[in-house]
Amino acid sequence: MRKRTLQRGLTGIWWATLFFLYLPLAVIVLFSFNSANSTAVFSSFSLVWYQRLLGNEQIINAFGNSLILAVSSSIVALVVGCLIGYGMYRHRHRKLGWLIILIYLPIVLPDIVFGISEMAFFVEFYRLTGFLQPGLGTMIIAHVTFQIPFVALIVYSRFVGLDPTLFEAAKDLYATPFKRALHFLLPTIKPALISAFFLSFTLSIDDFVISFFTSGPESTTLPIYIWSAIKKGITPEINAIATLMIGAVAVAAILSLLFNRQGRR
Amino acid sequence: MNNPTAVPAAAARESAGSHDEVREKAPRKASSIELKGMRKRFGKDTVALDGVDLTIEAGEFFTLLGPSGCGKTTLLRILAGLEEPDDGSLLIGGTDITDIPPHRRSVNTVFQSYALFPHLSVRDNLAFGLRMRGESVAERERKVAEVAEFIHLGPLVERRVDQLSGGQRQRIALARALICEPDVLLLDEPLSALDAGLRGQLQVELQRIQKRLSMTFVFVTHDQDEAMVMSDRIAVLDGGIIQQVGTPSEVYEHPTNAFVARFMGHDNLFAIHGSQDDWVDTELGRLRLDMSEQRPDQDGWLLIRPETLELDVEIPADSNRLEGVVKERLYRGSRVEYRLDVNGQTLMAVASNLGQRLHGVGDRVTIGVCPEDLVRVAN
Repeated sequence: MRKRTLQRGLTGIWWATLFFLYLPLAVIVLFSFNSANSTAVFSSFSLVWYQRLLGNEQIINAFGNSLILAVSSSIVALVVGCLIGYGMYRHRHRKLGWLIILIYLPIVLPDIVFGISEMAFFVEFYRLTGFLQPGLGTMIIAHVTFQIPFVALIVYSRFVGLDPTLFEAAKDLYATPFKRALHFLLPTIKPALISAFFLSFTLSIDDFVISFFTSGPESTTLPIYIWSAIKKGITPEINAIATLMIGAVAVAAILSLLFNRQGRR
Repeated sequence: MNNPTAVPAAAARESAGSHDEVREKAPRKASSIELKGMRKRFGKDTVALDGVDLTIEAGEFFTLLGPSGCGKTTLLRILAGLEEPDDGSLLIGGTDITDIPPHRRSVNTVFQSYALFPHLSVRDNLAFGLRMRGESVAERERKVAEVAEFIHLGPLVERRVDQLSGGQRQRIALARALICEPDVLLLDEPLSALDAGLRGQLQVELQRIQKRLSMTFVFVTHDQDEAMVMSDRIAVLDGGIIQQVGTPSEVYEHPTNAFVARFMGHDNLFAIHGSQDDWVDTELGRLRLDMSEQRPDQDGWLLIRPETLELDVEIPADSNRLEGVVKERLYRGSRVEYRLDVNGQTLMAVASNLGQRLHGVGDRVTIGVCPEDLVRVAN
């Protein structure tokens, strides 16, 4: 009997978790299709807010900025993180614990601390040198720094899962160092790289805190736009943006997961 | 396991037909290997190789045999170029290649884990070495077809690596190395992961392939039976030192020291207390030897091969005679093993099961020990 009660209790927690996790999202998605300008009463289905979005130049701009930021930072993070991941693998037998901690740190560091320190740095750097005016450039740098550890760890764990003699087999079969990279290393970790790219993309596209502190007047991204817009209250337009972002992030996250799984198999 | 696992047996049967044709197609020069003063240390304390001098003849099936940690794998890795020796030189076909990196050596390896590339199909795995050497697509395809025919891979070529069984992976790994037609083929315990039946089949097949290609094979194993079945010559290693080099019968019948004797599976080793002319004193008693059979300066132990002992037969006057009691009998079908107590010492005897009356536990037996069959072994 007691076991049964416990099981029921756990099932209850499960449903409560799902409820609090997804109901707010469901509400936002639902009301984005509301024909009335209300966030409380659903009148009828309509795409009017989505049409309104397309006509809003600020939103289109913010969307463009978000996309540029996410894609370019992900590409840079992929290249650098991949090299770091391979380096971590190659030298895993040495005592490099401190280096690994340095790589992990940005993952656990509060975004607000990270954002403020980046802002202080960029502002001062610009004042002294005249380079790196806060804007998309500084945002890309900031995003790359927090994406790198994720990429490095995904690549590293893919290498660790490989039979180490594969590296020797490639040498044994006449592959020069360059050909080993091209015909063995890169193809072998390709699924991990694709997965890391989509993960970086989702991290970047929904980042608000770090973007907020490192952005300039011209580089408003979608999250920043939403934040400034809701000061005037939540509009169905915001719901529509949020719904689009949920969709985009979900797709990227699923792709990331799929490619990672393919790599493990 | 499905159909393709039956391929080895079929291969063994069919290979007689394609035999001569393949040999003519690939007239190849085999290469000799010379190792001089090879030394390798790992860290401060671990000595993997402690001055190894060794010559392996061209076209030989040569086995490095020893327990784990004896240095046999390190030696193989030095041949492949995957490990750099601290000291010493390596010549293949008379050319010093000590400092040549692995990708520029005409040496290929069949790895213990097979090391097939998971991102490539079987076909692309086979062609990998050729592709890295810059051979044309047409050339690659011709050679893949040829090796698939030669090793009887059949439909395996079209599969993905993760669809293969252990035995199939092993054959692909072998084919991937052979296709490059190296001067020397290295095999690092390639059969150790397979079950006994399949291992037996592949032992025969490997040996046959080696003879057909007359390529120099260097084989590493810790299994003395496998070494004896397959090799032209065996080097027994221990502690980074070569203990003995010889044909399987030399190493088995005339081990040079007690380590080699024990490693080759001999239990009947008895300390020699003293000797005079052709007599030796051991814990078993005084025994006469045929001195013409002995190597000089071999003292310390007397080796008695269990299969040479004769139980309860007429013993000629010039032979040795011992008395013993059967302590244990192990019936193994084709043969019967007896554990005998002789003067408080345990002596193993093996008799072929020819339908004779078997001795029971507790029986007193007379044991004939022929002087020609006794071997003195150094410490």
